[in-house]
Amino acid sequence: MDILFSGQLLFAALVSGSLYALVALGLNLVYGTLRLLNIAHGELVMIGAYTAFWMLTLFAVPPVLSIPVAALVCAALGWLLYVGLFRRLLKRPELAARIEANSLILFYGISVILQNATALFFTSSARGYSYLGEVVTMGDVSMTGNRLLSLGVAVTLTIGMLLFLRFHIFGWSLSAVIERREAARVVGVNVDQVQVITICVGFAIAGMAGVLVSMTEQITPFMGFPFTITAFVVIIVGGLGNIPSGILAGFALGLIETYGVALTSAGYRSILIYGLFVAVLLIRPEGLFAKAVKS
Amino acid sequence: MKRRNFLKTTTLAAAFGTMFAATGQAQSTDPVRIGYSMALTGIFSQAAPSQVNAYELWADQVNADGGLEIAGGARRPVEFVAYDDQSNPGNAVRIYEKLITQDKVDLLAAPWGTPMHLAIAPVLQRYKMPMVGNTAASVKLRELEPGYIWFPTSAIPDAMGRELALFMKAEGVNSAAVLANELPYSQEVRSYLVPALEEQGIEVKVDQSYPPDTKDMTSVLVDVKTKAPDAVIALSYPADSFLFAGQAKELGIDARFIMSLVGPTFDSYRKAFGPSVNGVVTAGHWSASQAEWPRAKPFFDAYVEKYGEEPDALDSALSYMSLEILQQAVATAGLDPEKLREAISSGTFETINGAVSFDGVQNATTPTSWLQIQDGSLEIVWPDSIKTSDFAPKSGW
Repeated sequence: MDILFSGQLLFAALVSGSLYALVALGLNLVYGTLRLLNIAHGELVMIGAYTAFWMLTLFAVPPVLSIPVAALVCAALGWLLYVGLFRRLLKRPELAARIEANSLILFYGISVILQNATALFFTSSARGYSYLGEVVTMGDVSMTGNRLLSLGVAVTLTIGMLLFLRFHIFGWSLSAVIERREAARVVGVNVDQVQVITICVGFAIAGMAGVLVSMTEQITPFMGFPFTITAFVVIIVGGLGNIPSGILAGFALGLIETYGVALTSAGYRSILIYGLFVAVLLIRPEGLFAKAVKS
Repeated sequence: MKRRNFLKTTTLAAAFGTMFAATGQAQSTDPVRIGYSMALTGIFSQAAPSQVNAYELWADQVNADGGLEIAGGARRPVEFVAYDDQSNPGNAVRIYEKLITQDKVDLLAAPWGTPMHLAIAPVLQRYKMPMVGNTAASVKLRELEPGYIWFPTSAIPDAMGRELALFMKAEGVNSAAVLANELPYSQEVRSYLVPALEEQGIEVKVDQSYPPDTKDMTSVLVDVKTKAPDAVIALSYPADSFLFAGQAKELGIDARFIMSLVGPTFDSYRKAFGPSVNGVVTAGHWSASQAEWPRAKPFFDAYVEKYGEEPDALDSALSYMSLEILQQAVATAGLDPEKLREAISSGTFETINGAVSFDGVQNATTPTSWLQIQDGSLEIVWPDSIKTSDFAPKSGW
């Protein structure tokens, strides 16, 4: 049982948790503001991972510097989708009313297209690169450089985003659109502008998370789907559209996964995570942390 | 660019179906058409390039050499008729039926993976079309009716379990941790390995299975580290092979015998971990450095030259072997399916993996072997009969 108190497990839980929180944050922003169920979210993580891989392979750009590049690539994709597709859908009230269900199907198509276009252009061969693989030891905790970097970047981005939402005027507009869309419009919030920026930011966050993932995992066109699932679990456990509690839920999932497995066995990983998911849906469908954070 | 065009052609062919329909009587200079389906998209597609690359390399070489020799001495160029089965065994069945009955291809090459091979075996039987399989490994293969399908692999789970236990014992391993992915191949190997270890008197200190979507192995590996076994056997798939290597390194797992099942033969695995994974043992029975297999190194070099990465020692090697066998059988028996079947069943073939002959559906020649990464290359370290290097205990990451 000593291992439960070792820093090693805490570090592992925080690395996973921060990544879950970051990936889910992007999804939550897009859902909260636009009511779009982006099940292609994991594909953005995949695109971020490929961006890092190609930047390193073709131009010798270290992955940490590819983080803004991946953000730009994914933001551009978000902008294209919004301007080319969703702006029109969201403007027509009869379509906007059904946007959640429709977006699920649309994004399913987008996800298949992104996966297979990537497979076609880059082949499905697994890719990988070596970056910051050295082990750093602090006290009784050993950490590979890339996981430490991943933790640092994910936590910084998440906190940065929270501060932005809390203190910047655009953050207020965004929160307003999430909570009371029509009221926000009445008091003069430019909803269209908030929407386009949010989809770009939401996509960019997923792309940046992809760079972090690529430093420790293999890169393939089909790597995204598990992230989509995890991100949905996180935002549903946290409360759909509730940004701060989504972040808490991401960390909670990391802790439950790591400590749950340590206490039981690796085979229980899925049972623990989906068990929590189902329990939350049954007992607190509004989200585990919804009330605590809002009040 | 060439590859991209091929994929485009393939996709179009899949979409329009009859694009490659047979036309007219085959002339002596008409290409020999070889049909196959491949998991170009969907969940298994990650594995497809290592196989398709080997096929295309083989076709390039045959065509550059003046074409495929048909019994009697005539040579004809080869071309592939390929469809995407979307990683769905049901699609593979329909595609092979179509290849045989509508496209009327001359020869067949194998799809990717155990489920596809098992699914299409009855089709081959029904239409009496022979096909040399490649990328399949399961004890279930032996239950197939022999006749029209053969498997050059020697990485069959029961033999793998037995040989690995013998190998570990020979290297002085007294205790082991077994971590297994819940996917079928890993579990099949595990079900033979654990009893075999006990039989060899090797204590199994940890025996845990984990789901395929595992994203962190720290908890399990901390447990392994505490129990300090001599060997850590990760019956892993590519995604978790990456996870295992990264986190075993992070935690400084210092067992002298470290095995990871599927993944270490990938070029990308060795690129991602560099010298850290030197000493990792993995499944496979082919190495470019086996001097007694004169075709091995030229294949390796040609592959690297064409694709800029190393062939997968499992899938690429098996895929290429399957076509070498087909090529030599056609040279003696021609294109008649029954004569071809007879030739494959009874012949001995020179391949990049040495001489291969079949007993029923199985490779009766190649021993079940284990590879180890040494200085970034894959060496055969077990058994003695074909080893290219001595096992070197893993020392640090």
